[in-house]
Amino acid sequence: MPNPMLSLLQGSQSQNNIMMQAIGAMMRGESPQNFMQSLAKNNPALQGLDLNNLNGTAEQLCRQNNIDINDAKSRINQYVNNIK
Amino acid sequence: MTENGSFFGSDWLGAFLIIAVLFGGFGGFGFGGNGAAAVDINGALATQSIQQSLGAIQLSSQNNNYETARLIDNQTMYLMNQQNSNLINAIQGYNSTNQALASGFNSVNQNIANLGYKMEECCCGIKTMLLENRLQDTQLALQDAQNKAVTSDQTAYLLNVMGKWVANAPATTA
Repeated sequence: MPNPMLSLLQGSQSQNNIMMQAIGAMMRGESPQNFMQSLAKNNPALQGLDLNNLNGTAEQLCRQNNIDINDAKSRINQYVNNIK
Repeated sequence: MTENGSFFGSDWLGAFLIIAVLFGGFGGFGFGGNGAAAVDINGALATQSIQQSLGAIQLSSQNNNYETARLIDNQTMYLMNQQNSNLINAIQGYNSTNQALASGFNSVNQNIANLGYKMEECCCGIKTMLLENRLQDTQLALQDAQNKAVTSDQTAYLLNVMGKWVANAPATTA
């Protein structure tokens, strides 16, 4: 039986969905820094951010957008654990 | 983050947070975004959940099929045994009925035979009685004929005497 998650990732990557690309990279065991840096080449929004300190940059962005960092981390963590 | 390591606190968590905030790929998380990726992920999770459920249903179905087959087998054996018992009872019932019928027929045959004997006896009695009656009638007729013959003889004698008397009447004696 094919893994539905991998099937979804393959389909989503072809649609240039960034989230799907990130999940795919994570599952392939890629470095998050390398993935973000390669992503930044085609996305100006990422350029200028400190991609070597991803957690720090994320916290800063959350503060700037009035997002509860702990709640966001908890939700993403739960979601990724569910996917795994 | 590795497959077996802790995701929480890893750099990947930070990467996802940045992507979620900047590209809005986590609409489903409730803090903005267009929700497109969340829909996809939700779909994937739903598919995964559905497949797990289907697997569980399939396993349950297989167990049910096995149990059903076992129950059917048991039920079939039970019904067959019951039918056999019913057939045995029926056959025994038929045997009893046949025995009763045979006994009844035997009694009827005996009665018919007895009736035949009685009818023959009765017929013989009737024939005998008829013959006896006929004999009696003949005897009576014979007796009557004999009586008439005697009367006739007597009458003839008297007429003869009377004739002689008329022809040769004796002289009167005054």
